[in-house]
Amino acid sequence: MELTLTINGKTETLSVDARDSLSDVIREKLNLTGTHVGCDHGACGACTVHLDGIPVRSCIVLAVRCEGSEVRTIEGTRGDDAMNVIRRHFHEKHALQCGFCTPGMLMMASDIIRRYGRPDEKQVRSELSGQICRCTGYMGIVAAIVAAADELAGEPAAG
Amino acid sequence: MASEESVSTADQWVGKSVPRKEDKRHLAGASNFVADIRLPRMADVAFVRSPTAHGRISSIEKPEEHADRIFLLTDLQPLHPISGGPEMATFRNAAYPPLADEKVLFVGQAVAMCIGCSRAVAEDIAETVFVDIEELESVMDAVGALEDGAPKLHEEWPDNSFVDATISEGDIASVADAPVKIRRRLKMNRQATNPLETRGVVAYFDHRLDELVVYTSSQGPHVMRHGLSLALGMAEHRIRVVAPDVGGGFGGKNRLMPEEIALAALALKVDHPVRWIEDRNEHLTASVHAREHHYDLTLYAREDGEVLGIEGTVHVDAGAYALWPSGPFMETSMAARNLPGSYRVRHLQIETHTSATNKPPIGPYRGVARPGACFAIERMIDELADELGLEPVEVRRRNLVGPELMPYRTAGGLRLDNGDYPQALSQALGMVDLPALRERQHRGEPDGRKLGIGFAIYTEQSGHGTAEWVKRKSRVVPGFETATIRMLPDGTVHLLVGIQSHGQGLETSLAQIAAQELGLDPSAILVRHGDTALSPQGFGTFASRSIVFSGGAVAKASRALARKIKSIGAHLLQVPLDQVIVRGGAVHCGGANVAMKEIARAANIRPEMLPAGLGPGLDVTETYEPPESGGVFSYGVHAVTLLVHPVTGVTEIIDYVVVEDCGTLVNPMIVDGQIIGGVAQGIGTALYEEIPYSENGQPLATTFGDYMMPCASEIPAFRIKHRVTPAESTEFGVKGMGEGGAIAPPAAIANALNDAFRGSGAKFLETPMTPRRVSDAVAGARAGEQAA
Repeated sequence: MELTLTINGKTETLSVDARDSLSDVIREKLNLTGTHVGCDHGACGACTVHLDGIPVRSCIVLAVRCEGSEVRTIEGTRGDDAMNVIRRHFHEKHALQCGFCTPGMLMMASDIIRRYGRPDEKQVRSELSGQICRCTGYMGIVAAIVAAADELAGEPAAG
Repeated sequence: MASEESVSTADQWVGKSVPRKEDKRHLAGASNFVADIRLPRMADVAFVRSPTAHGRISSIEKPEEHADRIFLLTDLQPLHPISGGPEMATFRNAAYPPLADEKVLFVGQAVAMCIGCSRAVAEDIAETVFVDIEELESVMDAVGALEDGAPKLHEEWPDNSFVDATISEGDIASVADAPVKIRRRLKMNRQATNPLETRGVVAYFDHRLDELVVYTSSQGPHVMRHGLSLALGMAEHRIRVVAPDVGGGFGGKNRLMPEEIALAALALKVDHPVRWIEDRNEHLTASVHAREHHYDLTLYAREDGEVLGIEGTVHVDAGAYALWPSGPFMETSMAARNLPGSYRVRHLQIETHTSATNKPPIGPYRGVARPGACFAIERMIDELADELGLEPVEVRRRNLVGPELMPYRTAGGLRLDNGDYPQALSQALGMVDLPALRERQHRGEPDGRKLGIGFAIYTEQSGHGTAEWVKRKSRVVPGFETATIRMLPDGTVHLLVGIQSHGQGLETSLAQIAAQELGLDPSAILVRHGDTALSPQGFGTFASRSIVFSGGAVAKASRALARKIKSIGAHLLQVPLDQVIVRGGAVHCGGANVAMKEIARAANIRPEMLPAGLGPGLDVTETYEPPESGGVFSYGVHAVTLLVHPVTGVTEIIDYVVVEDCGTLVNPMIVDGQIIGGVAQGIGTALYEEIPYSENGQPLATTFGDYMMPCASEIPAFRIKHRVTPAESTEFGVKGMGEGGAIAPPAAIANALNDAFRGSGAKFLETPMTPRRVSDAVAGARAGEQAA
């Protein structure tokens, strides 16, 4: 069947199967491989993308329900100033090791900052409870999100 | 222009928290994992897997309409069985077939493979394959597996034991009448390694180069190439193995697995690339499993807490087959040999059994055997302290190997090289304020939870080479690493190494080492690894070996290159060789200098500028093994404070302290990252992660819905202190440290739970200590008390 959606600002019309997930379409039809699939059952968060501005696990979203939607993947954030601030803090705070969870973490991080403004460590940890990182033990990720939020809010980092 | 002194400081790259080179591509979402590779006409593979734990295959039916897209073991021939496990006459081999033929030995074992234009289509075809299996009674318990009358997995074996061996030191009978004897049974349950990127393989035949290309998510491409060559009977120069970006390994990607052989064989049969990306269900049920140790131990001690001897048995539940190359025995022998831990125990007598069961084969996982051994000995120390009414820290202090005894050969035969274990314990104690915590514990918590404080001490053998691996009878002896360093005409550098970096940041750390030796900025050095067509022979990254071996090889090769650079520099400056140094991107003699790029230009494209008798080129390959090949030992103390609810059994870690010593730190930021990540995995082992099986062999944790991975809300912030005792036998005094974080947490957390319920009779002797296990232990102790 035919599906039309806007991906990273560009409208695409694709032929998809009814059973295709959004991650199938993003990775296999659009070849946007920055969105990673870690579990394929909605538990690890690696495949997080923004669907109409809201973070979703693209592996458990059926592609056909995205008709007319706007999808943003990690590739669509490369020129985004706010995301680049988050990236810099991930880099400085050693918030990634193997890098596989990183795109999903960044997509979730930007949403946490959008919703909370300046979240504290506890809020960040709670909001990240659906994002698995096997390498870092989360400490750098949490610190990076808190620090990026502080910078984006234009306020000096606490402590 | 920078002053001479600041230039010199700028060259001191070892010890600096240089931000990682690897980050840029990952943060952009532009990395290249196996699943990201796109090749024309690539087909997806889905495996047909056994639904039965133990059975004889009667028939496999391929529906006619898909017959050309379904492959059985007979369709992939010629293939050669490859034996894994130690080269010991007493070790019974069980080669793991790429696809099952006569028998299936666990649920999830691959039986057939199907290709389709997408994974979904391949799975549709897989569903049409009918495998008729005559079910046999399954063997699900490592101890029961060895009892008379147990059904046998491998019919030619006398029983289900891969190998039985005794690890013995001193004379255990001499302490049999010790005043204190404590006997406990302990268990560390089965886990999967669970890197967030699952395994994956893309394979195709390259007609131009007449070679088979295998992209695989692996920790060691050269070793895998050798294994593929044996399995396929194909000359090694016609196989290229590439491990591109690898999304974590933790040991689980360091064995040649049946899917890798099957995909390679399939690529030789079909005229297009083939791809298999493991899904999480396959990872949990059919990938490398780990742990599953059973201990039955007796500790002999004096009344003052001095431990005299350890006696008992260790059973390791090894699963159905021996993985290539190392098989399961290393797990058992390391568990037994690490039982004395960091203590002066002189008598050790451990019977070990490596049992075959109807479960996936076990392999290495971060810490290999030592999380189990540490859990066992450190729990026993606390049990002894309870028995004697002593503070557990005091019992530890009484038994630790002190610095004055080092190097010290433990009863397990390990040579503890240096460090100060008692001081590390004191330091950890200083960081937690034990008296204040005891006072708080005494007052009680307002919400009815219990406070517990637990300690554990670990050692981590690292950077061990030929002597140690030969002792283990390993059929591949990772006794060296190789580095090729090549300066290009503009003075920038390619550094090619045989290790693989899959999160450890070695593209950064190794560049720091080369930068230091060459007087360059790390940004001028590009580290390449993971491709047998590019990199010199190496063994990959595992066993906390890469910074010791590859770091050493890089230092050695860089120094050799620096010598040649100095020769050319001295010639260009027209000064004696013994008066020049390399520093800050140039060769200097007093106030004069010549830039590295001038030297590189001369060596590479202007040979007429070279001194007479000196050959062109700036390209050096060196191999390295540290002189002490028994390994160097990192060590540390973990101190955990937790709150636990006595009814729900829910545990919350409120403070986690790590004092550790891994010798010289090359990149402190990366070291801390390895510690924190390791401890997080250890917390998973301690509290959450487990793959239980039903009695008839069905796996009960098959998704992340039932396999509990720790998330940010379960993992605390950590407080880390480093002690630095440089190793005597390695370059810069480094020690490996990638695994240590994962070793101590199960012990420290179990000791903290024991502390929280001290005196109640509740026992914490099995991981993971899930809310249910904790709650049951507390309720069981209460019921026992009431009955008494």
